[in-house]
Amino acid sequence: MVAYTPEPERIGRNHQIRFALAVVVVSAGVSYLPEAAQQRIALSVQATVLRPFIATQELFADARMRSSQTELLLRDLDSLTSVTSTQSALVDENRTLRGLLGLGERIGPSYLPASVLRPGTAGSESMFLVDVGYEDGVRTGAPVVGPHGLLGQIRDVQPGIAVGIDWTHPDFRASAMLVDGEAFGIVENVRGAFREQDQLMLNGTAYNQLVGEGMLVVTSGLGGVFPRGIPIGRIQGIAEEQGSWRKSYWLQPNFQPGSATHVLVAVVNAPGDMADMWTDSLEAEEEDTGRGPEL
Amino acid sequence: MSQGTPKGLWILVVMLFPLHFVLHVGFGLGESAPDLLTIGLLLTAREVGIGGASLVGLLFGLVEDSLTVLAFGANSVTMTVIGVFGAFTRDLFVGDSRLFVFSYFLAGKWMRDLLHWMVMGQEFRQPFVEQVLVEGAPAALYAALVGMGLVTLMGLVRNQ
Repeated sequence: MVAYTPEPERIGRNHQIRFALAVVVVSAGVSYLPEAAQQRIALSVQATVLRPFIATQELFADARMRSSQTELLLRDLDSLTSVTSTQSALVDENRTLRGLLGLGERIGPSYLPASVLRPGTAGSESMFLVDVGYEDGVRTGAPVVGPHGLLGQIRDVQPGIAVGIDWTHPDFRASAMLVDGEAFGIVENVRGAFREQDQLMLNGTAYNQLVGEGMLVVTSGLGGVFPRGIPIGRIQGIAEEQGSWRKSYWLQPNFQPGSATHVLVAVVNAPGDMADMWTDSLEAEEEDTGRGPEL
Repeated sequence: MSQGTPKGLWILVVMLFPLHFVLHVGFGLGESAPDLLTIGLLLTAREVGIGGASLVGLLFGLVEDSLTVLAFGANSVTMTVIGVFGAFTRDLFVGDSRLFVFSYFLAGKWMRDLLHWMVMGQEFRQPFVEQVLVEGAPAALYAALVGMGLVTLMGLVRNQ
């Protein structure tokens, strides 16, 4: 008598379910891979499958750039069409580029100009791509700055492109000080209930240190991650006090990530002190806004 | 999703993958563009069986994760489970009517957002009401409408 065996269709079905379970386990395991392995996977996919799409975004960014330049030429030729509401974005971009140009001249060749690209996919809110990479001299950890100060830091570098995080990323930390060097602390991101409520906080300052609203906070250069003197933000008020030995302060960021379209990225052997690079532009900004330190 | 025209369906799925990344990454449209990757996965899952659907989900998820600094792996798990879910519906629902396909896309996309919210770490995600209800519901409706439009265009659903 022939022994009972399951129907072939049922056997195939069981194989499928076992295979699917294995894939689910593998997918769950991806989250627990070491960060280096996760980065290797991400870089491989970015360099292969996603390369055409990232290149497309670069092309569109360039096209937008060229388009804006054409618009500027047309504005010169036709003064009647120059004053339109749609030009505010171009004027803003122009101001950013002029600021970067001035900053770039002061900083020199140790910082490369780059366009900022945003992936726009789920979970990529705090990251950006820049169109400079390893062969340009960009390395992991390089600071990314703009005309108003610090935007973030490079996390992964590939040939021709690099991935960075801005200050809204939970891992963002910067060793900081008041611009006069009187108080030191760590600037970190504090997540709000909504992304728009993300804030910067200067943590770990001495309790008795006088820190007035409006005072400029810059990177201190301690720890060697960021060069000294890059503006981060201005003191907005006391965030919290611990006992009578420590205070934290809210910061008004100098550089909003959403406004970053063109930036400067540090290359190898960039100078470790940038205290004088922003002085002129920040003084001009203070004159424009009437904003200054209040002690 | 009639059984007689799988060729049209495969053409659609193969088109949706690059189209999703052209819109989201290439044009930088972000949330303004529909989630074509989930639509493609849901369509594939009805055709390839549970094992193949889970594998396709994992691959789609890995590609999305490679653009994510926050919570790497969240998209992989989410898309794999959505693939399995889609394949299971083949056993539960045989229909390919407009109402069924619309509901399938709507539920699939909404479930994808819900799962992604659950899998992301607490420190990375937005409040449930905002991410899953306020943003997730219109996104699911948007994806379902676009998905319906596409399958109708390709003649993959019954008229009644």
